[in-house]
Amino acid sequence: MGKKLIGCPVCIEHKKYSRNALLFNLGLVCDARTNTCSLEPIVKKLSGYLTTLELESGFISKEESKQKLLPIMSTLLEDLNATGACTLPIDESNTIHLKLIQLRKDPPIVQEYDVPVFTQCKDHFIKSQWDLTTQQILPYIDGFRHIQKISAEADVELNLVRIAVQNLLYYGVVTLVSIFQYSNVYCTTPKVQSLIDDKSIQEECLNYVTKQGQKRASLRDVFQLYCGLSPGTTVRDLCSRYSQQLQRVDERRLIQFGLMKCLIRRLQKYPVKVIRDERSRPPRLYTGCHSYDEICCKTGITYQELDERLENDPNIVVCWK
Amino acid sequence: MMLNPSDGLPDDRKSLYPQSQSSAYKCGDKTSPISVILVSSGSRGNKLLFRYPYQKVAECPSSLSAKQRNPYVLNTSGDELDDQDGDSREQSPLTDEQLVAGFSDIVLSTILATKSDMCGKKFELKIDNVRFVGHPTLLQHPPIIQVSKTDPSPKREMPTMILFNVVFALRANADPSVISCMHNLSRRIAIALQHEERRCQYLTREAKLMLAVQEEITTTETDGSPQSPFRQILPKCKLARDLKEAYDSLCTTGVVRLHINDWLEVSFCLPHKIHRIGDTYIPPEALERSLKAIRPYHALLLLENEKTLLSQLPLDCSPALIRLIKTCSAVKNLQQLAQDADLALLQIFQIAAHLVYWGKAIIIYPLCENNVYMLSPHANICLYSPLAEQFARQFPGHDLPSMLAKFSLPVSLAEFRNPLEAPTQEAQLIQMVVWMLQRRLLIQLHTYVCLLVPPSEDEPGLRDEDPPLAARVGGRSLSTPSALSFGSPTSSDDMTLTSPSMENSSAELLTGGDSPLNKRMTETLLASLSEHERQFILNIPAAQNPEDLRMFARLLHYFRGHHHLEEIMYNENMRRSQLKTLFDKFRSVLVVTNHEDPIISIFQSPMD
Repeated sequence: MGKKLIGCPVCIEHKKYSRNALLFNLGLVCDARTNTCSLEPIVKKLSGYLTTLELESGFISKEESKQKLLPIMSTLLEDLNATGACTLPIDESNTIHLKLIQLRKDPPIVQEYDVPVFTQCKDHFIKSQWDLTTQQILPYIDGFRHIQKISAEADVELNLVRIAVQNLLYYGVVTLVSIFQYSNVYCTTPKVQSLIDDKSIQEECLNYVTKQGQKRASLRDVFQLYCGLSPGTTVRDLCSRYSQQLQRVDERRLIQFGLMKCLIRRLQKYPVKVIRDERSRPPRLYTGCHSYDEICCKTGITYQELDERLENDPNIVVCWK
Repeated sequence: MMLNPSDGLPDDRKSLYPQSQSSAYKCGDKTSPISVILVSSGSRGNKLLFRYPYQKVAECPSSLSAKQRNPYVLNTSGDELDDQDGDSREQSPLTDEQLVAGFSDIVLSTILATKSDMCGKKFELKIDNVRFVGHPTLLQHPPIIQVSKTDPSPKREMPTMILFNVVFALRANADPSVISCMHNLSRRIAIALQHEERRCQYLTREAKLMLAVQEEITTTETDGSPQSPFRQILPKCKLARDLKEAYDSLCTTGVVRLHINDWLEVSFCLPHKIHRIGDTYIPPEALERSLKAIRPYHALLLLENEKTLLSQLPLDCSPALIRLIKTCSAVKNLQQLAQDADLALLQIFQIAAHLVYWGKAIIIYPLCENNVYMLSPHANICLYSPLAEQFARQFPGHDLPSMLAKFSLPVSLAEFRNPLEAPTQEAQLIQMVVWMLQRRLLIQLHTYVCLLVPPSEDEPGLRDEDPPLAARVGGRSLSTPSALSFGSPTSSDDMTLTSPSMENSSAELLTGGDSPLNKRMTETLLASLSEHERQFILNIPAAQNPEDLRMFARLLHYFRGHHHLEEIMYNENMRRSQLKTLFDKFRSVLVVTNHEDPIISIFQSPMD
């Protein structure tokens, strides 16, 4: 048949019915291949409503009111397909409101060293629609401040900030990138070719990375810059090597865009203490599971300090990935 | 599902739901089934023959037990789902176990034993948080039923079974690919059972045994203590044990191998369990896409050692498979493998894809000293990981993190070579690299090249409007023998053991001489460029050399960023040094970058 049926049967037992029970089921017929998870709450809600209506005023069992079902059902079908929401007036005192809610994937855990960045222009969002915590941290989300910094500057507890940003992540309002430093190392991913293949990403990119007030950067320059990122090359190195290309390009926004669209990825440093003697304590942070970003955030020391400490330790190797 | 507004549930029953929920979640994740159920429908009505596990099953929908308020009440036909045979159902008191387990046997047998016209098709039913998937199968009995001499049943008249259904209950939010895999398994088991039924009435006999045990248990249950009949069925029925084994395997390894009636083999693998990297699995569609894109220059890397793999194969497996496993190696590409194993390239592709699907091998680029490797972003570099332990055991004196640190920056195998070291050291290094590749710790980087001509200064607008070269040259297909479709093999003409045949054979361009033919070819090839681009290229000092220009023009269609250096080398039969020199000469219009091959990178990292 190729179709899927979604229904929620209801049985109301009562002596007044001609079989001591009324059974009914309002269902939706969909194509077998579509994802219908978001329709299920609607079917359930409808069956609940109809049950209440029946119990209160015999809506379904009475002939006159039963006629109203047909226009209700056709409105339901048309409006849900057109806009995803519908309003069904039943009688003077009852109206049913239904809306399709998109189910989204669970968002990842937000760490204190992650940096949230808006996926669309900030001004598109009506601040008053968000909760108080989010409203308080919104001005500090600029794509460069990490969670710990936002928490400190906005004076909001760290875990609250993490939860608020996770919520924004769920709705696709922000995405996470890593902290920007000129000593960071990045490399290209296979997706970088989409800059060449996909016109819309090209346009978006060139508009995003061009320096304010300058003529639009050329695709070649931007692509060369991305391709210039490779293991062993810091952003500082890139700037000195490609200074000509960077005349019209803001390197910070270049990196930001690259990370947001997964054209490039950050190479993080992970120190591992290769155990040499049995007497010393087992390493807590230098196990290969914690990056420099994380260690610096947690302990409060800077990259340079950490670098100096670890370079002098012969027992520690550093892996980049 | 029935919603009864006048819900008369006693309070103690209501509190069971949170409990049963937590115990149900203990078993496995979204890719594991919750339960396996066998139902049948026949002249005696719908029966639930077997279910496993019998204690904890689906989350209990609150309303269902509303029907079972009083265990002594007859099940009336208030149930709106029809019993297609119209027979009265046998009434059995419901035990507490069955109540707690959510759906009772009777409800399950009613909903899962479908009508005959739903047989032979995918069956899928979702009730709240449980999804049932199966493949109801019709049984056709021969007109004369031979009463088998070995039939233990004393009855002369055989109740006929019309259809049966092997159903897997999954979590409702299981991935559609998991659902279709489970359906596939259900279908395979059904085919085997149908065959055995025709041959020796196997299913009827097993069903009779199962029902006999169920009746026995219910009639002897006088003291009210519930026993699960299914527990008693297990030692007596091979089929029940097979179903239990299928369930257990699906929950653990994802590989199912059953011998129905000790005769027919049913084998199945759940790719979601096999192809896992950390917590995420590689979706089967992505796997299939990659497998369709493998080329003759790729290689097959076995994930287990040869002896272990050979011992896992069934006795009647194809000799081609055995030959392939014995001859394959990390340094041999598929084309060489075809020659060495004396098999057609197409067959090699198919067997390789099969091994990859079953998680026994991955596709890599053959090992050679120019290969550049780097740590995979998903590699587990933790000091205390089980991998570190295994490595230390396999290669005493070396530790994994130190080895991995060496691959922090992309490094080619040639750089490890030390002429002062003994050759055994080098061999060990190769072994270590192979070990790391097998455990997806390393990715290989390739060089990709893209043509981008600097925009002209006087007409900046025009440059941006030109569609990139990729879009313009898109029409040309590079059809090296690579197309591998599951089901319809390409013609054997493409799969030759000799040099790859290219449709747009640019090998026609003779390398010698500056004949007018060659010149015209070069011009044609450059015609796909815009005027500005052509002028710019022709003005490059290197372009003054007609050989270089010809080579450039010939390779133009590779410069879209989708073909790496090794592929160009293979297709065009060129040396690495030749290509690198060419790239250098034309560097003012080419942009070069290194990254992993997206076709096979799926084997190192799941799709993001």
